[in-house]
Amino acid sequence: MTLPKGFGSAGGGGAGSADVERMIGRRVENMTGMITASYIAAWLATFGGTAAGYFFYPWAYPTPSGHYAFIVLTIVEAIGYLFCVKVTQEGSRKRSNGVLAATLGGTAVGTVLIVLFVGH
Amino acid sequence: MPALIPKEVEIQRLKKIWLIVIAMGSTAASVEVDNFVDGSLHQTSIRDSAFTPAHWWLYSHFVALPLGWGAVAIYDRRVPILRGPNNSMNTGLKMTILGYLATMFTIGINEMWHFWFVEEIFAVPNHWMFNMGVVVAFMGALAYVVRVYARLVELGAETPGENPYVAEMYKMALEGKLYSRAIP
Repeated sequence: MTLPKGFGSAGGGGAGSADVERMIGRRVENMTGMITASYIAAWLATFGGTAAGYFFYPWAYPTPSGHYAFIVLTIVEAIGYLFCVKVTQEGSRKRSNGVLAATLGGTAVGTVLIVLFVGH
Repeated sequence: MPALIPKEVEIQRLKKIWLIVIAMGSTAASVEVDNFVDGSLHQTSIRDSAFTPAHWWLYSHFVALPLGWGAVAIYDRRVPILRGPNNSMNTGLKMTILGYLATMFTIGINEMWHFWFVEEIFAVPNHWMFNMGVVVAFMGALAYVVRVYARLVELGAETPGENPYVAEMYKMALEGKLYSRAIP
């Protein structure tokens, strides 16, 4: 197999496992922390977006509409987050079901609390 | 197709592309929700303005999706199977980017037209290029995403549907026989 410049031994030869690791960089199954942080950031940004409606434009953006959007968006983002983590970890021995459950449960409870108590 | 990079490396790189695609899918789905929010807004405020919340959300995907496809186009260079003719960009990605570029360049024409004719009717000529551009972009994106997925199936990293008819379709697609023998 021809390897890119700088990989493998001089004069041909195959890729050693060290070369393969170097070409891969950070493995996708180890990106759960970054993906989780992105999901939480997206969820908070979603709240920021609907909060603009609750606090600055209630005349143009009714609070129930904002809550509806916030709930549906949380579901959309949660599905994306779940897919991302599952796609990265399938075929590997790594499992982050605890992190998934805690994050999804936390944002679900947070969404319910926000819808109940914010913007009224 | 012979492997040009180690299989494990290719799977990891394809999955990184897949992650960007999922993130863009979530963005696109959220914009679909915003269509309803926008409708709700226009029940109370008929006038259009760029500075209303539903429009921030709606228009932010015009920033997020080009950035996402740009990231895919940059990262895509590391996966030999996704190269297009003559080592150029993948044909599906090319179509996606050209389609969205066509749409962007139509904005000026659209604004000129709306100076005289204010109604937003789907079929007016200034919208033709928007609609065609978006359709071309969607076709390219679909072709690209299916190619990435089919390669993940080929490498054994993804399992195709258990339905035997679907499995047969994947097999034929990977052999280049799904639609035509002349155009593989």
